[in-house]
Amino acid sequence: MQKALLFIDRVSTFVGKAFSWLIVILTFFVSWEVFSRYALDAPHAWAFDAMAMMYGTLFMMAGAYTLSKNGHVRGDVLYGFFQPRTQASLDLALYIVFFIPGVIALTYAGYFYAAESWAINEHSNVTADGPPVYPFKTIIPLAGGILLVQGIVEIIRCVLCLKQGYWPSRDQDVEEVDVEKLKVMVNVTDEDIMGAAPKAEGAR
Amino acid sequence: MKLKIRKEMLFGFGIMALIVLPSVLFMPWGNMTNGHWGLLMLALVVVAIMLGFPTAFTLMGMGVFFAWLAYRSVNPDLAGRQVLDLMVQRTYGVMNNESLLAIPLFVFMGYLVERAALIERLFKSLHLALSRVPGSLAVATIVTCAIFATATGIVGAVVTLMGLLALPAMLRAGYSVQLSAGAITAGGCLGILIPPSVLLIVYGATAGVSVVKLYAGAFFPGIMLATLYVGYVIVLAKWKPKLAPPLPESERRVAIPAINQPLVARGRNSIAVLGKSLFTAPPAGVTRRNIFGQFLVALLPIIVLSALLLVTYDLATKAPEVIDTASMPATFDSSSSGEGAAADPSAANTGLAEPPQDTGLAEPPAQDLNAPIAASKATPEAKVKAAIIPKPAPAIDKAAQERTDIPSWFWVFAGVLLAIMAVVALVLSWERLEVFKMLLTSFFPLAVLILAVLGSIVFGFATPSEAAAVGAFGGLLLALGYRYINHRRELGTGPAFAVTARDMGSIVQDSAFLTAKTTAMVCWLFVGSGIFSAAFALLGGQEIIERWVLSLGLSSLQFMILAQFIIFVLGWPLEWTEIIVIFMPIFIPLLAKFNIDPLFFGLLVALNLQTAFLSPPVAMAAFYLKGVSPPHVTLNQIFGGMMPFMAIQVLAVILLYMFPAIGMWLPQVLYK
Repeated sequence: MQKALLFIDRVSTFVGKAFSWLIVILTFFVSWEVFSRYALDAPHAWAFDAMAMMYGTLFMMAGAYTLSKNGHVRGDVLYGFFQPRTQASLDLALYIVFFIPGVIALTYAGYFYAAESWAINEHSNVTADGPPVYPFKTIIPLAGGILLVQGIVEIIRCVLCLKQGYWPSRDQDVEEVDVEKLKVMVNVTDEDIMGAAPKAEGAR
Repeated sequence: MKLKIRKEMLFGFGIMALIVLPSVLFMPWGNMTNGHWGLLMLALVVVAIMLGFPTAFTLMGMGVFFAWLAYRSVNPDLAGRQVLDLMVQRTYGVMNNESLLAIPLFVFMGYLVERAALIERLFKSLHLALSRVPGSLAVATIVTCAIFATATGIVGAVVTLMGLLALPAMLRAGYSVQLSAGAITAGGCLGILIPPSVLLIVYGATAGVSVVKLYAGAFFPGIMLATLYVGYVIVLAKWKPKLAPPLPESERRVAIPAINQPLVARGRNSIAVLGKSLFTAPPAGVTRRNIFGQFLVALLPIIVLSALLLVTYDLATKAPEVIDTASMPATFDSSSSGEGAAADPSAANTGLAEPPQDTGLAEPPAQDLNAPIAASKATPEAKVKAAIIPKPAPAIDKAAQERTDIPSWFWVFAGVLLAIMAVVALVLSWERLEVFKMLLTSFFPLAVLILAVLGSIVFGFATPSEAAAVGAFGGLLLALGYRYINHRRELGTGPAFAVTARDMGSIVQDSAFLTAKTTAMVCWLFVGSGIFSAAFALLGGQEIIERWVLSLGLSSLQFMILAQFIIFVLGWPLEWTEIIVIFMPIFIPLLAKFNIDPLFFGLLVALNLQTAFLSPPVAMAAFYLKGVSPPHVTLNQIFGGMMPFMAIQVLAVILLYMFPAIGMWLPQVLYK
């Protein structure tokens, strides 16, 4: 079971990480566009559409990845103090009450929304002769679908936790605040921190 | 430990009861109107968030259900279809949102700057530069935090890094634990307020206020808050030196490189000695090239100030009609400012003060209309450029011929600048030259990057997302430059290239992944809140609240205090993202009724939400600091240290309310 869960985690992570490279492309693209507009005097009408599409695709496709790493913001006033079993039963109930209906609605609606766009061969109307938007709209059901699968994995995790009394493990991922890495970056060792008692006390 | 946990759970449940009880008691259960369902939904969502389920999906699920409820009351047959349409349109709206587009770019820039490994240099050079100020280490900590937090905007990382660097330094110097902890946590949170901050983008996107105006408005309140912190530390250090003893002489001394020792023997003033040494035989072991390089560095402040003076002269005496056109929509280049900023650190890092040779700068863009704006920009390079580049456009040629008289304020300005130059020239001793060199490779590159990004947004040369992208590009170059320099010192030129390249690979990769996660977190919250606030509006909950608030007969001041107080209280159980996306849609429509500018309200909210990071028991900053502090530092000491700074934040909110010009002056001047 745990293997299957981790496998789906890895699929979500792979998709999210693959699409996260869009931020690098976006950075270079916009920098180039700015340069091109002002220095070369050659702006591109489709630039805004392209920017929005990259940003929209980036965050939508990273939704499941973020969920698989438990990265979505959650209220932490009480949750952190609960026993794992309490956490799991709350999560389980709310996944079924809130998550599943919400994400199914999004995926289902997104499917028809995208299908309609494909059917009429829709193009962006931000500028005249805009780029096609149906691939972009297709992102909604795609992202929703992956998120739904990841949500089911999370539900199974809750059930496992209810059975075992502890949370099943997850794969490691890059952390926003990785203390060990930061220590290396600023050349601080544990001895430096431990030795940080005021000198005056040592002298006394 | 057990007791502690119990206390905090009690606190959480207490807040929850405070929300649930009134809504259960005052609901007219017999005849629920749609509006009442809306209010119930609001109470429920706060409870559900406090239970700890991911907020984005709580909002989404509740929004879908209550929107269906609202539609069903009108037409049960169409309700399902309508909910789905609403949902997908809201989602697509978030995916196409121009303001939110800037978020991943600013976040990416932040992660890159954080990984540039420059905070150590920054702190060290500021600490030496400020060593004579009372409480110098704490002051240097706050200034470092302000600059670094502004560029990165990541509270956790800034507090952790400063906890690693500054906390041991302050404790060793005999600073009180409370003061040290307070300075780090308060300083680390400044990035929330000082633009370019993500909070302001989120507020702007929610409230429909221009992010550009918010940035212009938040700049001075941010500076004010940082200044208040610094002022508090200085006063405290003067008043109770025991809390922040002055540094011993050994800690203050600046090491002068051996190569300069023979020069030091020739005199105290570095500019004079370097200048003279250019024309006399150099001392043994010192090359003429080295002397020339150092001379240029020493003269840099004077060169920059002279350029500023020239540009101001150019502006002040320009024929008036050209200046009038400056108010037209600006289309001038931001690439030059961004790239100037990006090129600057690498130029400065080599220790030679050559002007950046950027090909992008040499192109004369069509800038006849915008030259005045361009020249008033932050980067000195841009200024120099605006002054030097021959302008082919006829309007400028004409303007140059018809110079007006020199206004009197110009003489005052020139006098001040000349006085500064004279003082700099007189006091630039060898120690100060070394400190200046250190600042040049740490403080100024980052300051120029921030000011270039901010300046190009505020003066209208680029949209926030464009400036953010160029800023991220600049962050990439900063990371590249600093990593390379650090490696070169250890490994030599050749191997340093390879190691830096490998470093950059992992830096960009880590930053990209973290950016994806952070952006997904914020933007999925918008997806959820989109449907949620639509449901709230459909149910008419807004009208009930409006009717209720108006029936209270509050004055505009009372309403403002009430609103800020509610936000302050919500800051305890909720995160700022949740507060903004859920509660701002409720407050914003009320503002018009009380004649409050949403822009001004946003500035107050941003200042107010700072306190959320410092208010126990959920203050994130305290836990990050505790994670890296020595074992004898307790969480209670950290909380205690944060209290005075929290009081200063409240004072800042009051000051901003009393003197709105602190925030509103800049946007009003710029965007009439």
